[in-house]
Order: sequence, then C-alpha cells, then structure tokens
Amino acid sequence: MTWHVPEPLVAAYVDGAVQGARAASIEAHILACADCRARVNSAVSVDRLTSIWSSVLDDAENPRQSWAEWLLTRAGVPEADARLVAAAPSLHLSWLASLAAVLLFAAWASNTSDRGAALFLILAPVIPVLAVAGAYGPRIDPTYEVSVASPYPTLRLVLLRSASVVAASGALALAASALVPDGEIAAAWLLPSLALITLTLLLTRWLALPVAAFGVAAAYAVPLLAITLDHGGVSTALTSAALQWSAAAVVVVALALLTADPHMRAAMRRNP
Amino acid sequence: MTPAAEVTDVRRRYGRTQALDGATFEIGTGVTGLLGPNGAGKTTLLRILATVAAPDSGAVSVFGRDPAVSGDRLEIRRRLGYLPQDPGFQRGFSVFEFIDYIAILKEMTSRQERHAEVRRVIDAVDLASVSGKRVRALSGGMKRRTALAAALLGDPKFLVLDEPTAGLDPEQRLRFRELVSDAGEGRAVLLSTHQTEDVAALCQDVVVLDQGRVLFHGSPAELTSVADGRVWFAAERSAAAELVWRGADGRFRHLGSPPAGADVVEPTLEDGYLLLVGRVDEEAAA
Repeated sequence: MTWHVPEPLVAAYVDGAVQGARAASIEAHILACADCRARVNSAVSVDRLTSIWSSVLDDAENPRQSWAEWLLTRAGVPEADARLVAAAPSLHLSWLASLAAVLLFAAWASNTSDRGAALFLILAPVIPVLAVAGAYGPRIDPTYEVSVASPYPTLRLVLLRSASVVAASGALALAASALVPDGEIAAAWLLPSLALITLTLLLTRWLALPVAAFGVAAAYAVPLLAITLDHGGVSTALTSAALQWSAAAVVVVALALLTADPHMRAAMRRNP
Repeated sequence: MTPAAEVTDVRRRYGRTQALDGATFEIGTGVTGLLGPNGAGKTTLLRILATVAAPDSGAVSVFGRDPAVSGDRLEIRRRLGYLPQDPGFQRGFSVFEFIDYIAILKEMTSRQERHAEVRRVIDAVDLASVSGKRVRALSGGMKRRTALAAALLGDPKFLVLDEPTAGLDPEQRLRFRELVSDAGEGRAVLLSTHQTEDVAALCQDVVVLDQGRVLFHGSPAELTSVADGRVWFAAERSAAAELVWRGADGRFRHLGSPPAGADVVEPTLEDGYLLLVGRVDEEAAA
C-alpha cells in the first residue's frame, strides 16, 4: 500500500468533519490497513465513542415509536414531551376510534332532520372534551400514582396532553364536519367546543381533569339532548349569532384567567 | 440525626373504614419492613409517605420536610422512589419506553444521560433481554421488576415499596433481596410485605401495623423473641396452643403457652409475628 491517511485528515475524520466520498475512502482504507486503523482508533476520544455507542444502543433497543410520538417529534415537539404525550390513554387508537364512531353517527344524523342537525351540534363540541377527560387522571392513567409521586409538574402534564388530544380529536371532528352538507351547521360547533375546553382547563385548578371534563361535557350536552328529544331540534339556537358570541366571550375570559395564573404560565413554558 | 421519615399520630379514614388510627413511628437509613394483616393500613401509610395521599390528621415528615407544603413536597419527590401495590403500565409501551417515560417524569432531561440511567436500572433488575418487549405481554414477575426498575431511577434516597415481592418466584425473590439490601446502604427503604422470611432475611428494622396502629417496632430479633419459649412440637394437637399446624415431619407445631415438659424449640420471626397479631385478635374479641 502506497497511500496512508495523513495525520491532519485522521484528526478531521475523528472529529466528524470529513463527509461523503472522502469519509468513505478513509473507511475503505482503514478496513484494509491495520496501521491506519490503529492510528484512527487511538485518535478517537472516549466521549465520542460512548456517544456513538449509546446512539447505536438507542436505535437497537428503542426501535419503534408510536404514531403519536412520531408525528409529534416531526412537528418539532421535544422528544421527552412527545413521550409524555404518547402515554395519554385517549391518544390510543381504540379511544380515538370510539370518538370517531360517535362523530360519524352525528354527521350522518345531521343530514336526516332538524333533530339530527341538533344532535351533531351537541355531540361534536363535546368530543374533544371527552378526549381531554381521557388524557390524565386517577383511574384514567394507569401510572397515575407513580406520576403523582414524581417531581414533574402535574399541570404541565395536563396541558401537554390536553393540547395533543384536542388536536387529534379536533381533527376528527373537522373531518366529520366535511360530511355535513349545511356549511353553517358544519362550522357552528367550533366556538362552543373551544369554550368547553377552556372551561375544563380552568376547572382543573379545583378538580381532577376527568371530573372537570366530564362535568363540563355533561352540563352542556345533557340539557340540550333532553330538550332536543322532548321538543325537537335546537339547531337554530345553537347556530345563532348570540350563542356564537357568548361562546367566544367564554373563550376569551377563560383564556385570560388561565394565562393570569402564575402556575399555569410556568407550566406553559417549554422547560419547566 | 434526623430520621429519614417520621409519622406522628397519623389518622386517615376512607368512608367507614379507619385505615390509619394514630400511627406513630420513625425510620432511619437501612431497610425497614412493614408487616401486618390485610387491611391493617400498610398501603395507606405507604401512599401517605410517597406523597400520593394526605392524612386527615397527624404529622408526616420525610427528610425533615413536610409533604403538605408544596415546596417541601417537591423536594421529597426528587428523592423518592415509589413502587405502588398495583403498578399500571401504558398500553403499547415497551419496558424501555415505560421506564424512559418515568425517567422523564423524574426530571431527567438530557436524552443520553436518561437513556444510560434507564439501561442501568433495567440491568439491575435483570430485564435487559426483554427491554424491547411490550410490558403488557410480560409475566407477572417481570412486570413487577419493571415497576421496581422505574422506582430505582435516579438513585432515590427514600424507597417506598408496596409488596415488592408479590408474584416473584423464589429465585427472583433472592435476586430482589440482593437489590434491596444494596439499595439500603446509606438510603432508607420502607417495604411492606406478607413474607416474614423477606423481613427476617433483609430488614434491620420491623414495624408491625394492625388496625391502623403500630403494634410493634423493633429489630427482627426482638420480633422473633416475642415467641421465645412459646413454640413447641408434639405428636398430638394440644388445646393449650393459640395456633397449631402440622409440619412436614407429621408432628404438630404449636404456638402459645406450652404445657409442662413440652418440646420447646427456637422460634422464627413468623412465630413472633403470628403470636403478636393473634394476641391482638383475642383482645379485640374479649
């Protein structure tokens, strides 16, 4: 062999500064040349070896990622936060599938009659709230006890998971809206839904997340369903400008109260 | 020296059940065993010490800090490893993912350091060969070891283990004893168990809880000595004994006040515990 890897190139290579074809030719050479291999070996720092080895182990031991973790990290969410979110029970496909089934039924019903339209307007806003109920809490999260005993701020966990399940279930509800022919009805659930979600988060100051979410969902849906079944549809009332403006007002007030709370502000920071 | 954990006259009621009824004791470093019949209040006590539940009345202190104060509670949680009685697992998480998840909750932010720590505890409980498997697909003993590994993350100074040996086979129990006795070096470990052998083999300190009160607190030798001169063998069942059962050699092992000339033998820790708890039942009946 006439050519050997010169010393400056060895240094550059072990620093990771040599790329592409040049790196490939160095690698081909050191596979064949014991001398240069020894020189490269002794030049690599232990830190770099450890870090390479641990990333190899990571890939070997941690090969799969759930679809939720994969999507979240793609969207720029830090990997630790993505894992905390992926542990939310209501991000599981079985949970989302049952929410989707309710939405499909409601969207289909909205085509049939005024009562059906009311049914869609009552159920669609509640769906993301139900997903929030299943995001974290006693008897909801299987590792609730351990997570309570950990130093991680509970409020941050609640917010991270709520935001993600609202995004996932909200996307489902939007997709279902596309099946509703009447544009006014298809859009009228959005503001009430946001109002219910912000109210739920506000209530977590005093109540466990599932209690707050189920409570808010029931307080909204049960009376409206009763009226619809008794007297016929309430879709005119639910699409009315008055109701939309009230929902918007609730969202604004609830958001203002939420962001005024120093605990809430601390929990919203990227690094707690 | 401040004790690692201290409870003073702690009471806690669940509905109509008085789970804790004025429990008072303190523990230091080393391994403390918590014994008691079902419903004695062991789990309630451990949940209170793990900052998951709060007492109705009484004082609790861990490393001199009060779990009722939020800043103190956070400092306790930073030093705590907790294995609940019925640990759950996220559907779909592998052993590695699950422990990594708990490590994130324990504020380990750097991915590389966190993963190294996750690997360390997985090795410690001997689960490296299944670290990529889903937790829900594992056997009961492996699930318990997975939860134990999560409790060991971050080298906690106070380990609270609720029935850690339930569902482990004899070999796993032995391995577990090694682990916990290592953990007890310079740290405080409080574990509840129904296995008196675990306590005899592992603990420097024993607390016996019954009906929400501390019935006994001392060394395993002291608990054993409760049965000194009160265990004997006989070919026939004797009415003088409080508890009798037939042993492997066909003779009857008696616990209680022996009749004259009885073949009195060395007691075990289990004998002491049974006599202690049995006597309370008598008092309650009287």
